[in-house]
Amino acid sequence: MPRYRVQYSKKGPACYISHLDLLRSFERAGRRAGLPLAFTQGFNPHPKISFAAPLSVGMSGEAEYADLELTVAMPASEVFQKFSGALPEGLRLIEVRPVPDHSPALMARVDRATYRAKAKLSRPFDQKKLDDAIASFLARPEIWVERKNKAGEKKKHDIRSGIFAMSGKFENDIIIIEAELKAGSDGNVRFEEMLEAFQENSRLPVCEKFVLSRTGIYASRGQEKEPLW
Amino acid sequence: MELLDQILPLVQKPARYTGGEWNAIRKDWGRVDLKVAFAFPDVYEVGMSHLGMQILYFIVNSRTDTLMERVFAPWPDMEEKMRECNLPLFTLESRRPVRDFDVVAFTLQYEMSYSNILNMLDLAGIPLKASQRGKKHPLVIAGGPCAFNPEPLADFIDLFVIGEGEEAIGDFLDIFRDGKRRNLDKKDFLLEAARISGFYVPSLYRVKYGKDGGILKVEPVCEGVPERVNKRVVRDLDKTPFPTSPVVPYTEIVHDRIMIEVLRGCTRGCRFCQAGMIYRPVREKKPGTVLRQAAELVRNTGYDEISLTSLSTADYTPVRSVIAALIEEHAGQGVGVSLPSLRVDSFSVELAKEVQKVRRSSLTFAPEAGTQRLRDVINKGVTEEDLMAAAGAAFQEGWQAIKLYFMIGLPTETFEDLDGIVRLAREVLARGRKAGVPRGRLRVTVSVSSFVPKAHTPFQWEPQAPLAVLKEKQAYLAGRLRDRGLVFNYHDTGVSFMEAVFARGDRRLGVVLEKAFQLGCKFDGWSEYFHFDRWLEAFRQAGLEPEWYAYRRYDYDSILPWDHISAGVSRQYLALEHRRALSGITTDDCRTGSCSGCGLCPGLEVKPDYAGGDYSAPLPGAVQ
Repeated sequence: MPRYRVQYSKKGPACYISHLDLLRSFERAGRRAGLPLAFTQGFNPHPKISFAAPLSVGMSGEAEYADLELTVAMPASEVFQKFSGALPEGLRLIEVRPVPDHSPALMARVDRATYRAKAKLSRPFDQKKLDDAIASFLARPEIWVERKNKAGEKKKHDIRSGIFAMSGKFENDIIIIEAELKAGSDGNVRFEEMLEAFQENSRLPVCEKFVLSRTGIYASRGQEKEPLW
Repeated sequence: MELLDQILPLVQKPARYTGGEWNAIRKDWGRVDLKVAFAFPDVYEVGMSHLGMQILYFIVNSRTDTLMERVFAPWPDMEEKMRECNLPLFTLESRRPVRDFDVVAFTLQYEMSYSNILNMLDLAGIPLKASQRGKKHPLVIAGGPCAFNPEPLADFIDLFVIGEGEEAIGDFLDIFRDGKRRNLDKKDFLLEAARISGFYVPSLYRVKYGKDGGILKVEPVCEGVPERVNKRVVRDLDKTPFPTSPVVPYTEIVHDRIMIEVLRGCTRGCRFCQAGMIYRPVREKKPGTVLRQAAELVRNTGYDEISLTSLSTADYTPVRSVIAALIEEHAGQGVGVSLPSLRVDSFSVELAKEVQKVRRSSLTFAPEAGTQRLRDVINKGVTEEDLMAAAGAAFQEGWQAIKLYFMIGLPTETFEDLDGIVRLAREVLARGRKAGVPRGRLRVTVSVSSFVPKAHTPFQWEPQAPLAVLKEKQAYLAGRLRDRGLVFNYHDTGVSFMEAVFARGDRRLGVVLEKAFQLGCKFDGWSEYFHFDRWLEAFRQAGLEPEWYAYRRYDYDSILPWDHISAGVSRQYLALEHRRALSGITTDDCRTGSCSGCGLCPGLEVKPDYAGGDYSAPLPGAVQ
């Protein structure tokens, strides 16, 4: 069946909806748009929509991906036009492309993601000090974080090898931290846990919660990231 | 609102507070004269499932001079954060403080939400008492089924709308705008509003109490204020505005589907049922209207399910053909049909079979009482044969689970009636076995609530059964409903007790509500937040006894706290129905052609309106 890859952003009110709510929102938007969504067979049919990687509730996504399967083929431009008019506030379509038959599942290709965090500072902090803090953070051979497994037990994980890049800067009294992290089913690193580990040592004078966004999701070739198209 | 973005990541289900949903209407504050906040005193998922809110939101926002925005009770985790950060209660559309609106309109769906009304006013920074609010505060109004006994909220609400709101809200906004233009004082405005049919201004009535605590007299404080306020009724459901672009939430809500009201009112005349009395007469929507609205709703919402709602959808005259047409038109897009309530008969099972291709959920029937004698007392026109035929048909058709709703503590109830519940449950279970439902899968759930006497019903004079008796009866049933495959559920008797107090309460209970709010009562309809001890403490502090309210038996000539509010059904009729109940005499549904003389049609100059069915005129000279 014809498959389409959509790139979209999830911001504002939409950044507070869960993965399940997002699926529901896409399904309803598809129906409002009059798109012939394909459904799974069985007792509890659901639309064949798959997302590249779930996004934490509260984090916005600037360039997310999803695949939609339709029962009837149509030009990608038509899918774009119909679907973009039916999405609620906060979900915005950026681009739609057809996916060739037999190409691998979207989720399987995900290997890394880029993030940005913003927060207000209570007092000025020096760029040099920030660069040094990041350098010493990345110089650590191991960075241990605690995660809870499904049974609620705490387990330690080393995330160092999943941090590919990190940088920081200031805009007036706002600090901006960006990072490129391992994503996908094989060794995903959560941006929040990396930030927490970083803050433990750097003693940044942050006076509010970081506002988080995922700026991109990528596949990889060798050491380099590459687009999911 | 930056502050909100700091709070939202810290609370459960933040999508409750963001707004921005599909079809939400955000109007320019600079271009309207009136701003109304619709306040639902429960959490978002409950409030957003309420069709009445969607209807009023649509009607008010269709006016060019007015905007309506929504606000729900924040869940306690959110409330805590809001109080910590001094963030006042805000609406979802503009995120403006509720206190900046001209009008705050609460809907009263159940008594146990009253504490949330006080809490929401407090969170909004609006003085709780109507007497403490002036021109610079929003006018606080309320409507909905509980407005039929508005007295417990009389201290807090400036004006109640009695009855159906579709036309009344427009009348209210017209005179409010006019009053605002003339710069009327709140008091003068209320005096004018009180002259309009359906508008009840509690501060314009004086209540005198006798030595025994009962009411001696309720009278208007000045001329021009009517002695009795009549409910509002819309005459033609087809011509009444109905939203076909309702707000579609991002997040899952309780009734997460299209809701189309196919009829209003119910004439079965169950004597405990307030909805059956206050929503008379029956008015059905024409099939063409239902189908047109359904098509628009599917297109505008993207939902995958259409629910045909009413008090008793199986009674909708063209129900069968409408279901068939809906399935024919929408099944191809994966859109199904559902029915919210089933009558206890095999016809209803037939309907359920048509709409439900997969028998995964259970079917629910409400025989309400365990013996024919008691079912006749409450005028529940259901026989044991009906129930067994319905259950048998359901099991035959592949359902494996059935839920049965009963009430305990009904007037005249004895332990024989409880034995009847046990017997019926076992009998239904036996039908399931006989139909070959596998033992491990077969389940009959018996859900038992406690009878709460309600205003404007034939049982309004009856006391509630004492707490200890209700508990004893629950234990009696729990000890007997133990067979494999039977599940027994029952409601907290403390909640039913408080419900009874407020359902028939008078305006002296305002003090109790205020104390309860101060003691931290909120979300009383949610078992995890209901604190019976706090309520009892509130009564102690107020110097009132809850038992006096819940256990009071009124005489026919007693003055009832809600006597100055008319639901259109005559007091004589209710008394006649009460006497017939005690004698075990049933009364026919007026659909069958014989008018039972409830007095509504001649009194309000309305008549039942059936879609394609026979219309039976009320008999001249019927009991008034």
